[in-house]
Amino acid sequence: MISVRNLCKDFGAHKVLRGINYEIGQGEKIVIIGPSGSGKSTFLRCLNLLETPTSGQIFFEGTEITGKGVDINKIRQQMGMVFQHFNLFPHLSIMDNLILAPVELKLMTKEEAKEEALRLLDIVGLREKADSYPGQLSGGQKQRIAIVRSLALKPKMMLFDEPTSALDPEMVGEVLEVMKNLAEDGMTMAVVTHEMGFAKEVGTKVLFMDEGVILEEGTPEEIFGDPKQDRTKEFLSKVLI
Amino acid sequence: MTEWWNDLVAKFVLDFVEKERWRYITNGVVVTLQVTAASLLMGLVIGILVAIVRTSHDQIGKKNLHGFSGFLIRVLNAICSIYLTVIRGTPMMVQLMIMYFVILASSTNKFLVAFLSFGINSGAYIAEIMRSGIMSIDKGQMEAGRSLGLGYAKTMQKIIMPQAIKNVLPALVNEMITLLKETSICGTIGLNELTRGGDIIRGVTYDAMLPLLVVAAIYLAIVMFFTWIMGLLERRLRESDIR
Ligand SMILES: Nc1ncnc2c1ncn2[C@@H]1O[C@H](COP(=O)(O)OP(=O)(O)OP(=O)(O)O)[C@@H](O)[C@H]1O
Ligand SMILES: [Mg+2]
Repeated sequence: MISVRNLCKDFGAHKVLRGINYEIGQGEKIVIIGPSGSGKSTFLRCLNLLETPTSGQIFFEGTEITGKGVDINKIRQQMGMVFQHFNLFPHLSIMDNLILAPVELKLMTKEEAKEEALRLLDIVGLREKADSYPGQLSGGQKQRIAIVRSLALKPKMMLFDEPTSALDPEMVGEVLEVMKNLAEDGMTMAVVTHEMGFAKEVGTKVLFMDEGVILEEGTPEEIFGDPKQDRTKEFLSKVLI
Repeated sequence: MTEWWNDLVAKFVLDFVEKERWRYITNGVVVTLQVTAASLLMGLVIGILVAIVRTSHDQIGKKNLHGFSGFLIRVLNAICSIYLTVIRGTPMMVQLMIMYFVILASSTNKFLVAFLSFGINSGAYIAEIMRSGIMSIDKGQMEAGRSLGLGYAKTMQKIIMPQAIKNVLPALVNEMITLLKETSICGTIGLNELTRGGDIIRGVTYDAMLPLLVVAAIYLAIVMFFTWIMGLLERRLRESDIR
């Protein structure tokens, strides 16, 4: 579904990504772990070109999205992204947050979009919040809304950048629950997270990133049970106390 | 005491009642408000456009500005920078006179001269207000909009600008108050606005005190009215932030 070739990203003199090669297949759930500053967010943000790669290629369903003349807005519609800080639109009601993109992009009429939004709100159990504003919601509720806001475009793939890191502990579960259901429905997912339980349970592959490269990859059993690299062992020993 | 009072009443009658001289004041208020409103509208249009050019130039970043659109943005940004520097670096009075005696020397429409001068002038200040408003919006908002497949312009229009304008509403009301007071210099080009109205009465009756006090009181009343509106606005905005 997505194929990354020799992806590099510099911020000035700082080489943040130093040659990433990876393929994500249809229906896979990739969990990306690694120390702070290792380039996890940058990698994810390159996938939908929120960051412009310095060099390298990214193919999405066979199209080179790093090439010239691609309509990146079209590609992004098919790749939902969920942020650590939710980034809901505070001036719009929950309903308007959900229907803004589908209606503006002329993918649905307003009525269709509203119907779809209510269906999605039902799935995350937040139908009664349709007319509320983001400021009236708890963190966990906001993140669930942010997830369905992306789903309203019926994306083929979802990117999650530490979706539970800004949440109070008691709200982490409700968001992971939504993500697990999404995974069970067959969504292709790439998730940066520190939730190792989630990684073990849902991940089909775990990538350990360090200093801008994928240092080690494997199934959750391989990475958590029998890590090969010293850096991976060291990292895991710190997070799996 | 009574003598003083009778004197004052006589002056009042002479200044405002005789020959319907109060009309200089009322007509002047109308002209002042018209110039202010028209200039503010023009200033808003210029200000929003300039602010968008400047912020998009800064946000896109130097090395991503290639191709024709990159070239266009650079040219527009340069024009905007010159505009801001010149307008904010020269006195309003001089700008007004240049417009009247040089650029529009052939025009006899003083309202047009005043409205263009003040519109162009306030545009520069509103641009900076709008720019600070746009920059006050968390960059996650732009990223969220773009990640949903919305284009830069659409995201600006639907997500960034509504929040930015809301954030700077009090500053915009302030700009309007400044504008209102500044239009008092339009008398120099012979536009019959409020200040000139009072001045004409003084010239005829040789009484300076009453016309000037009345003029000052009217400016003060209008400004206090808008300050009150601004207070209401700020309270509403604070409430809606909690919501
Ligand atoms: N826009 C930017 N400009 C300059 N440097 C940046 C920018 N974005 C990220 N960086 C730098 O790139 C490096 C990698 O950042 P990145 O956010 O990808 O790390 P991360 O693995 O997601 O870390 P964390 O776990 O803290 O989120 C960091 O050193 C960061 O300071
Ligand atoms: Mg990160």
